[in-house]
Amino acid sequence: MNIIPLFVIIPLFSAFFISLTGRLFKKGFIDAISGVSCFLLLALSFYGLNALNHSANQAMVYKVGGWMPPFGICMVLDGLAGFMLITVNLVAFFVCIFSINYMEKYTDKPKFYTLFLLMVTGMNGLIISGDLFNLYVFLEVASIASYALVAFGTEAEELEASFKYAIMGSVASGFIFIGIAFLYGFTSTLNMADMSRILGASPSSWLVPFVSVLFLMGFGLKAALVPFHAWLPDAHPSAPASISAMLSGVLIKALGVYAMVRIFFNIIGISAGYLSALMFLGALSMIVAVILALSQWDLKRLLAYHSISQVGYVFLGIGLGTPLGILGGLFHLFNHSVFKSLLFLNSGAIDYSTGTRDLREMSGLKEKMPVTAGTSLIASMSIAGIPPFNGFFSKLIIIFACIQKGFYGYALAAALGSILTLASFMKVQKYAFLDELKEKYRNIKEVPPAMKFSMVCLAAICVLGGILLLPSFKFFLSGAAGVLLEGKEYAGIVLGAAAKP
Amino acid sequence: MDTWVRVDALNGFVVAAIGLFFALTLVYSAGFMKGKQKNGQYYIYVILTAAASVLAVVSNNLLLLLVCWGFLGFTLYLLINMGDVDTGQTAKKTLIIVGGSDALMLFGIGLIYKITGSFQMDKINIPLTHHYLSLATIAYLCLAIACFAKAGAVPFHSWIPDCAKKAPIPVTAFLPASLDKLLGVYLLARISLNLFAMNGAMNILLMLIGAFTIISAVMMALIQHNMKKLLGYHAVSQVGYMVLGIGTGNPIGIAGGLFHMLNHAVYKTCLFFTAGNVEYRAHTAELDKLGGLAGLMPLTYIAAVIASLSISGVPPFNGFVSKWMVYQGLVQKVTMTPGHQVTSVVAVLCLAAALFGSALTLASFMKLIHAAFLGQAVSSQPKSGSLEVPAVMWFPAVLLAAVCVLFGVFAQAIPLKYFIMPAIPGVNFSGQWYATLSTALVIIGLILGALLFKLKAVKPVFRRDASYTGSETAALQYNETNRVTGTEFYNTIKEYGILKGIYKRAEAGFFDIYEQGKAFVFGIGRFFQYLHNGVLPTYLVWTLLGMIVLFFTLVK
Repeated sequence: MNIIPLFVIIPLFSAFFISLTGRLFKKGFIDAISGVSCFLLLALSFYGLNALNHSANQAMVYKVGGWMPPFGICMVLDGLAGFMLITVNLVAFFVCIFSINYMEKYTDKPKFYTLFLLMVTGMNGLIISGDLFNLYVFLEVASIASYALVAFGTEAEELEASFKYAIMGSVASGFIFIGIAFLYGFTSTLNMADMSRILGASPSSWLVPFVSVLFLMGFGLKAALVPFHAWLPDAHPSAPASISAMLSGVLIKALGVYAMVRIFFNIIGISAGYLSALMFLGALSMIVAVILALSQWDLKRLLAYHSISQVGYVFLGIGLGTPLGILGGLFHLFNHSVFKSLLFLNSGAIDYSTGTRDLREMSGLKEKMPVTAGTSLIASMSIAGIPPFNGFFSKLIIIFACIQKGFYGYALAAALGSILTLASFMKVQKYAFLDELKEKYRNIKEVPPAMKFSMVCLAAICVLGGILLLPSFKFFLSGAAGVLLEGKEYAGIVLGAAAKP
Repeated sequence: MDTWVRVDALNGFVVAAIGLFFALTLVYSAGFMKGKQKNGQYYIYVILTAAASVLAVVSNNLLLLLVCWGFLGFTLYLLINMGDVDTGQTAKKTLIIVGGSDALMLFGIGLIYKITGSFQMDKINIPLTHHYLSLATIAYLCLAIACFAKAGAVPFHSWIPDCAKKAPIPVTAFLPASLDKLLGVYLLARISLNLFAMNGAMNILLMLIGAFTIISAVMMALIQHNMKKLLGYHAVSQVGYMVLGIGTGNPIGIAGGLFHMLNHAVYKTCLFFTAGNVEYRAHTAELDKLGGLAGLMPLTYIAAVIASLSISGVPPFNGFVSKWMVYQGLVQKVTMTPGHQVTSVVAVLCLAAALFGSALTLASFMKLIHAAFLGQAVSSQPKSGSLEVPAVMWFPAVLLAAVCVLFGVFAQAIPLKYFIMPAIPGVNFSGQWYATLSTALVIIGLILGALLFKLKAVKPVFRRDASYTGSETAALQYNETNRVTGTEFYNTIKEYGILKGIYKRAEAGFFDIYEQGKAFVFGIGRFFQYLHNGVLPTYLVWTLLGMIVLFFTLVK
């Protein structure tokens, strides 16, 4: 039995089921359904990557309806897709557990789970899609679910943020769609592998640069690269904390980073000029966003700016185009998913207990909320790149990769960005957790166990993240980096794997 | 064969010293931290710190060194937060400076790898002369900045005085006063001796930083009113001698710098322990509120006096020997490099600064000893009896004071012979200092003095009388209102001409790299914030402009 379609079927079916029957059952049942489906997805992701690692092929292909790839639609699980699936479903699982308690304060839990699972469907579908149009459809599924989730609180501020996000997201989707249309017009195929083959066989001098810029802007906006980032600091803080964790943790990476690098590296082939554009935009985001983050007082807004900055690191690493750089970039992508979602969950926990997101309002919470404080400290140290936490290792690789290729300026910028990140998280720690507890918080309590569980597990991953670089675990990252390095050989690999029975 | 750790003469004695201070800190903490909350966490952090320090020192791999080095900043942050009072601001500043410099160290190590292709410290030797000159210089400076931040040389020092004031005393004694100095100066010596072959410009830079550190920090120490903060500034000032010694680049200077590192850790830890004892009994470290503790805490007093004389470079204590070696290094720098006008001038200036700094150190410790232990006591303090702290607290201080004497009197026989000379070959004294003989002479002199003093003929006649001011006689027995504190005399320094403006700016954080960096970054931040006005059409305009720029640059 082929597991690949299950990545779409499970969350889509659960979303459908919950939306239809959500009001008939008790709340606990709904929690259980979404929790179990997220757990299944996570288990399947590990199983899928393990199966891929032990199979002779570099990719596993599922042919929808049994049609051969150039004609039918296919789903592809290769090293990069497996890596992204684990990242997405890992965060989704812990966020789902966290939401069991956290979402109590909102009124309509079934709607929340429906939208949440639709967003997961969109991301999973986008990752395993082997067809460019399907990729676009799943991208829109995830985007629209996220527009609705940003507005989930339905206060004025949230609706405004959602509106801005929807407008800018639609503009980006429009440009992406135009790009896909041009590619389809030129190659007469939508299958990604086939398109890659045709573009290789009959290159076009004008088409590739033109659609590349469209994709750079479109996916760049989804990934919130400066100067396409302006929606993010409004949208991410406005969503419920568990959704902010999903948005900052994985959505911008699945929709932005993954889709962009998959198309650039594997389909249209990337040239030196675009690599340097990626690096420049990455470095720009890294520095501009962290400076903006430093002067924020709204905890979630501060975290949102850091998402822009950290995605800059990812693009800087991948944009180097060297094996070490790509490895570092992808490793940072994974690490950032873990610690940023943890930080947003921490902010949710603080909000849950104290009812505020303003750093100036909080003080001394360490005393009353030790689990939140401890996990938040670990996540802060990770994002700031303090050893031995995971963020340190990925930043180290990115900086070394820059130096290796002779980009000393970018390396120094990454190091300076790291100092500013540290400064900004020291601010968070000081204002939120240290010093005297305020009188009005005398009676607050630590959050319920489900929320604690999610935070502690994610913190454990932050502490142990460095072991992914050890030889026995390295296939997780190097397999994904290998897919990007193989470039346009992707076509041959996928079509070859599809031809086998 | 790649090895992860390697012990040689240079890091062997540093490991031994870390072990000693770790043990003494544990003993002292048993008294000082008794009954405090979260004791378990405290001891775990202390043990982790010691383990990471040892690993950092013996590491032969730059990456392992970097990981341990960075982790130490984190444990320091955790330990500062064990303090009772509001430690948030201090902990934040400390980790930003210390952790921030680690990011630069990472960059520097990346450059070293680019140049040599190796992380093995024993295989790296980069001359600062060939075609990688600018890269190698940047790499050296990046590593040196990490050392300066850890050890606390100007301008990366500003966390130490704050940390000394707010963190629990054993933590200050353990990290900023001893371990961080040992690590920072050890690494500075390691990179200057082994990893890079120094050139003249780098030596001059180090010497200038050293001399500037000595003077600027001791000037700040003079005006402090808090005992712990005063010691904190001295913890910065003394780093200047170590950097200066290493900066001379000749064996005796480097040996002097390393010996001073060891001595400093001994007497400064002792001083912090005594400050802790005073605070433990008097419940304050403000010099204005202290006085007359000498009789009540005799053991603490004796330890403090010995350590104070030692830090001030008074013979025959250990601080003198190492300072004297640093001076010799500077003198040799002048005599051995004829023709290098600049080097000679800088060396002479640095020598003057070092001597002057030593005198000022003595002055500020006279203030401390007088204000805390002699001086007039506050009225709430008992007139007689004993306030001496428990044995676990006075013992480490007295032991370290004894080490001060031992290392001073038997300088050649013990510390130099076993610790310093094996690490630095070719030390060549330009004049011999017979420490033991001189001690004997000093003691004979003191005995003669005492005998003369006891002779009736020269016995001075004291007359005590009421003070007479404004045509009124003040009461002879003093009370709170006319109590003279030990610090008032020193307040005049602040009003002295040109110093007035400098002190004013220094206290406002004008010379603090942290405050300046903050102002700079927030200045840029305000401009960016102005651009983020929340208006959707503006955001769309940027997006489209960005795309147009991409079209222009990428589509040809």
